[in-house]
Amino acid sequence: MFNYTFRWNQALNALPQMLDGALVTLQIALLSMVIGVAVAVALTLFRLSGNRVLRAIAATWVELARNTPALFQIYMAHFGLGAFGIHLSPYASLLAGIAFNNAGYLAENFRGALKAIPDTQTRAARSLGMPAGQAFRLIVMPQMFRVAFLPATNQMVWAILMTSLGVTVGMNTDLAGITQELNARSFRTFEFFAIAAVIYYVIAKAVTLAAQAFAWRMFRY
Amino acid sequence: MKTAVVAGLLAATCLSPAAHADALDDIISSGTLRCAVVLDFPPMGSRDADNNPIGFDVDYCNDLAAALGVEAEIVETPFPERIPALMSGRVDVGVASTSDTLERAKTVGMTIPYFAFQMAVTAKDGAGVASFEDMKGKTVGATAGTYEAIALEEQVKEWGEGTFRPYQTQADVFLALSQGQIDATVSTSTVAQANVKTGNFPGISVVGSAPFDTDYVALFAMREEYGLLNYLNLFINQQVRTGRYAELYEKWVGGDLPDLTVPGTYR
Repeated sequence: MFNYTFRWNQALNALPQMLDGALVTLQIALLSMVIGVAVAVALTLFRLSGNRVLRAIAATWVELARNTPALFQIYMAHFGLGAFGIHLSPYASLLAGIAFNNAGYLAENFRGALKAIPDTQTRAARSLGMPAGQAFRLIVMPQMFRVAFLPATNQMVWAILMTSLGVTVGMNTDLAGITQELNARSFRTFEFFAIAAVIYYVIAKAVTLAAQAFAWRMFRY
Repeated sequence: MKTAVVAGLLAATCLSPAAHADALDDIISSGTLRCAVVLDFPPMGSRDADNNPIGFDVDYCNDLAAALGVEAEIVETPFPERIPALMSGRVDVGVASTSDTLERAKTVGMTIPYFAFQMAVTAKDGAGVASFEDMKGKTVGATAGTYEAIALEEQVKEWGEGTFRPYQTQADVFLALSQGQIDATVSTSTVAQANVKTGNFPGISVVGSAPFDTDYVALFAMREEYGLLNYLNLFINQQVRTGRYAELYEKWVGGDLPDLTVPGTYR
């Protein structure tokens, strides 16, 4: 039997604090995507390169990022590096962990997107006299981003939700951290978690819709 | 029509035979007492080499179950999950070193204190923290949701400099301290001594006491379960007067037995 009387007024008083936390959450997610995309492009180039070492680095990164829990990656960024005397703040640990995860998944997205672009695109570009690098940069890469864009928004949503794992490394300014603290003080667990869930939902939904609108405008043939 | 109403009432009565049984009845008739215990909080709760739960809180739950004539079931519950565990019906009673704040008592039913903690400062060697005041301006941390975490965070805000970091478990706090991620922590002195003694966390020492009020901790149960809360209060009283409280204290902590009464007031 669920025996609990909801008291919303007390929880709603804390809403401004929670919305401040939501901004931090969104900020971390956005930054992690920017870093993630940059690293993922580098990893994709590593994979295409003839250099065996670079290919191995990219393959290892993608394997680790995709096949270990995000919680583990964030925890390692804090306590794992900490064991070697490298001290990242909770914010930096969380950002590093999520960016690591993003880069691995996005690199896979980009690889899939590249496969979807016919070879003839490159050949046509080369036949126009473009060097290989230029052909990739001007012809292939923009198409790669277009194909990978909507799948990548999934990763953005995932990044927003992953920020909630920051509480394990002492993060107390994001939405999950603030919610946990409010909960610890008052024990009004269900109200605070319900509000947090709604805020996460709204952010995630808004990001998805914004991405769809953006894609609709940008990527029409 | 009338017969339908009567039949309906009869059915309702028959279908809800447990309607008047309270939590105390439920525990006794189920034969099991489920206690929420925090197991990364030595010496109150931890696991031995064979992974069995041990500690003051574990023994306390076992005593309570014995008094009720039922089996004890220890449900491992991290600090932040104590209340969800109770509210969702996974545990009957919290034996989880829970500070009896007025804010929390609006939500759960607190018993009289069954234990009392003094607060101690533990610092990373070489961080330049030799007393509570030295923590000003440093990076400090504590276990999220505990009495000392709330007090320490307020203190950091009052100092206006330094950083406070809440970690989810007591073990993570000492790990962060040992690695130098934080310079100092405030925890209950019993927990600080026990953790420093394990040797799992090199390079940290207890450097002094923290000027926070005595942290009285209570058992908790559903707020409206007066029958159960009443029983728990009497049980705590009996533990003290039979000498069992002193015995358990000597077994797990040692030293001066904390007084559970507050001079000059009732309860």
